[in-house]
Amino acid sequence: MCDHCLKHGTAGKWYLNAENYSKELAEELNLKEFFLEQYKNFEAMQVRKIAGLDGVGLGYKIKMPIIGRITKHFAEKMLHSQKPKHNPFRAEGHIGQVIPLHDATSILEHCVDEDSIILKYCMCRFMHQNVKEACCINFGIMSEVIDKLPRFKPEKDKFHISKDEAIAKFKSFHEKGYIGTIWYGMYPYISNLCACATPACAGIRPRVEFDIKTVFKAEYVAQIDPDNCQGCKSCINACKFDAIHFNEKEKVSEVDLQKCYGCGVCIQRCKFDALILRDRKAIPEIALEY
Amino acid sequence: MGRTKIKIDYSKCGDKSSVDPRECGKCLKNCDPAIFLLHESLDFEKENDPYDPQIWRVTPVYLSLCTRCMKCVEICPEKAITVKW
Repeated sequence: MCDHCLKHGTAGKWYLNAENYSKELAEELNLKEFFLEQYKNFEAMQVRKIAGLDGVGLGYKIKMPIIGRITKHFAEKMLHSQKPKHNPFRAEGHIGQVIPLHDATSILEHCVDEDSIILKYCMCRFMHQNVKEACCINFGIMSEVIDKLPRFKPEKDKFHISKDEAIAKFKSFHEKGYIGTIWYGMYPYISNLCACATPACAGIRPRVEFDIKTVFKAEYVAQIDPDNCQGCKSCINACKFDAIHFNEKEKVSEVDLQKCYGCGVCIQRCKFDALILRDRKAIPEIALEY
Repeated sequence: MGRTKIKIDYSKCGDKSSVDPRECGKCLKNCDPAIFLLHESLDFEKENDPYDPQIWRVTPVYLSLCTRCMKCVEICPEKAITVKW
């Protein structure tokens, strides 16, 4: 279990702690105002200068000897911030974690208020690829905030959705190969359940490309049963993290535990029941690697 | 490998022109590593409706991930993009 869950997850995982979704918490932190300000300015966040630095050319900045380390340090400090008050122009206190389908279903079933579930356009796909795809499930006060911002509201899909609809939607995203992620809107309030795609995802990309901890790996890792694996390679094609390789000698697929984010996308692609998700903490060599 | 520099002429596309990049968006759609960012203009922040901004521009942000395929330069109908290294 990661440090974060030890501190914040009464049910073992921070994102299964219903307290983090509560209306009282949002009110106490005055988050409606904060989110509205943040989402009004959402797309421009990466180009707005903070202390003279913006996200333009981030990959080059990160590679510079001293400036790179400073940039990474401040970016992570900002994202992992646990201060009660934040600047809406920065992604402060905005960290997430990869989650597989069954955890996403638990969240939707047990943690969120049914009347407040909405489906909105993915901002990442819109701002990086000019694609409008309604695949972000939000809840709580986000439903009131997004209601005021027409560019996020789906034109064809329903805006307010029921629990069952949300679960069915998330399942269909998962089948498409999208990676489930759960996010603190601002710590410690949880507001977004996303179905992310690479390379557009503004959360996954800095982690994968520049090793900035924007998103934690899941509490799980995929494991292959070599007896069941038929060597069809469909899991290899499905993996967005390049974590599965083919063992030519044995003619089976193998998971690179260090690279696996535990999203579970490979599992639903496998026709031979050769893949399962195992608890990350049960495997000593990666137990602490989030 | 040296740094890639991408320049977008905003007098041809974006906030200083009559072309709305949200309507065209060909550079964004055709870039395999998706290095561009479409965002509400900060230069025209006061003119923009805060709830429903109408003035947008494209900024290349993930320059280090550019593969120098030149698809954006070729596809841009306004010839607004230059890529140099």
